Amino acid sequence: MTRLALEEVTFWYPATRAPALREVSLEVAAGEIVALVGKVGAGASTLLLVAADLAPRVTGGRLAGAVRRRARSGIVLPTPWTQLSGMAFTVWDEVAFGPANLGWPGHEIARHVDHALERLEIVSLAARDPITLSGGELQRVIVAGLLAMDPDLVLLDEPTAELDPAGARSMWRLLRLLAGEGKAIVVATSELDAVPDVADRVVWLEAGAVRAIGTPQLLAEDAACDDGLGTTVARIWRAAGLAPPYPLTVADAVQRWP
Amino acid sequence: MAVSATLRLDGVGFSYGAEAALRDVSFEVAAGERVALLGRNGAGKTTLVRLVAGLLHPDAGTVWVGGWDTGERAPEELARRVGSLFQHADQQLFARTVREDVGFGPRALGFPVHEVRRRTEEALDALALHAHAEQHPYDLPPALRKLAALAGALALEPMVLVLDEPTGGLDRGLRAHVADALREHAERGAALLVVTHDLAFAAETLDRGIVLDGGRLACDEPLAPLLGSAERLKPLGLVPPTVAALSVALDLSGRPVRERDAAHALARVAGGGPGL
Repeated sequence: MTRLALEEVTFWYPATRAPALREVSLEVAAGEIVALVGKVGAGASTLLLVAADLAPRVTGGRLAGAVRRRARSGIVLPTPWTQLSGMAFTVWDEVAFGPANLGWPGHEIARHVDHALERLEIVSLAARDPITLSGGELQRVIVAGLLAMDPDLVLLDEPTAELDPAGARSMWRLLRLLAGEGKAIVVATSELDAVPDVADRVVWLEAGAVRAIGTPQLLAEDAACDDGLGTTVARIWRAAGLAPPYPLTVADAVQRWP
Repeated sequence: MAVSATLRLDGVGFSYGAEAALRDVSFEVAAGERVALLGRNGAGKTTLVRLVAGLLHPDAGTVWVGGWDTGERAPEELARRVGSLFQHADQQLFARTVREDVGFGPRALGFPVHEVRRRTEEALDALALHAHAEQHPYDLPPALRKLAALAGALALEPMVLVLDEPTGGLDRGLRAHVADALREHAERGAALLVVTHDLAFAAETLDRGIVLDGGRLACDEPLAPLLGSAERLKPLGLVPPTVAALSVALDLSGRPVRERDAAHALARVAGGGPGL
């Protein structure tokens, strides 16, 4: 079931001539993880804002084309510290802020908050004041706040940017679990080496337009490597002068190695 | 060594209320050294950055920058010696254009106009920001805003550069610009202390690793062998970067942790010439 459909979407931020997105078409199904990759400024963050109905509704600007959502969405911005409610003195209350605004009964809020804290492995932070948290802790709190609202469409912009490497692995595992539960997930990430194990599909954005859509194998192709979007293993294989197709991951490389 | 150290922490401790963030941390960084400050979330890295920048003062011990006790200097005075990039770099940007923001530090330190201009243009060049120089910093994506704040720190041409996650959200091309700029400043004598979760970037750019765990110094040693050891990294909340994992998995000689070295090692084993 399609959760999100963009049809020929072009988007201009206010007072800019060049569009930030150009005729982007994309469908995302329930249970699917789509990774958005590209250089800084390629349009991944804007695509997420459009999908979340924040652009142009909140950002201003102009949109051409059509956006269809058959789901309640939630977004985690690349600046999670700007997403704190400012209304909560504990992490538990912060995570409860979204569900409370949905008007849910107290016991439902508590159930969702507790579950979200468990999933993000931050139960121990429940009584902390959010403003005392480290960047990585805060990033987990904001993701927990999103999950506590139980959205069907999860939009994430660089969700591991503030996480330590072990925390980043947990986050990617969690996304696979959420997809397994039927959520549709769109994630913009510069952590290309994580993409093969996480994403079902990869959308390569360039200057606001879709350059290619495919499986993660896209990140082992010459074109992606040329553009700095190959995985580390693919790039090394290629730089060593070994023949394509290049392996995507360490596991692929081990299989390929004599 | 104690005399020549550009940055020195002597038994430094710091608490937020009852919660200890750093305990008895001591180390030195000499001019030109490139040090990664690593550790899991909440290990105390950001607190240490704030102490070196003089935004916090230690509860115990002393932070020395070139013989100055940072606890006795105002942050604006320390800016003559320390260039900082904070985790939430947005808070460091306030001018109407990127160029004006990058030039703010040298201007505030009283350098003549031509010197302010030289430093500003060099920093913009180093981080490939010229195309955005006349834009308002807040019109840029978050990753570029961080880069603009980093350019401001570089323009100070300080004795110590202390940087909190300089590469978050950057693409590979921009990461390479950051790496080149940092190497160049180290060659000119700056001591680098770089907090990063991006261990691939650390491996390519830095050569000594200091790891904090629970606010204490857990290790201080050459970075490459540390990054190659999954067993040692795991209890510290860290995971080997992909190149190190590949080197171990394929048993590459010398266990390289940098892409170029791994490609050479791979090419040697495969019997071909590296296409580098």
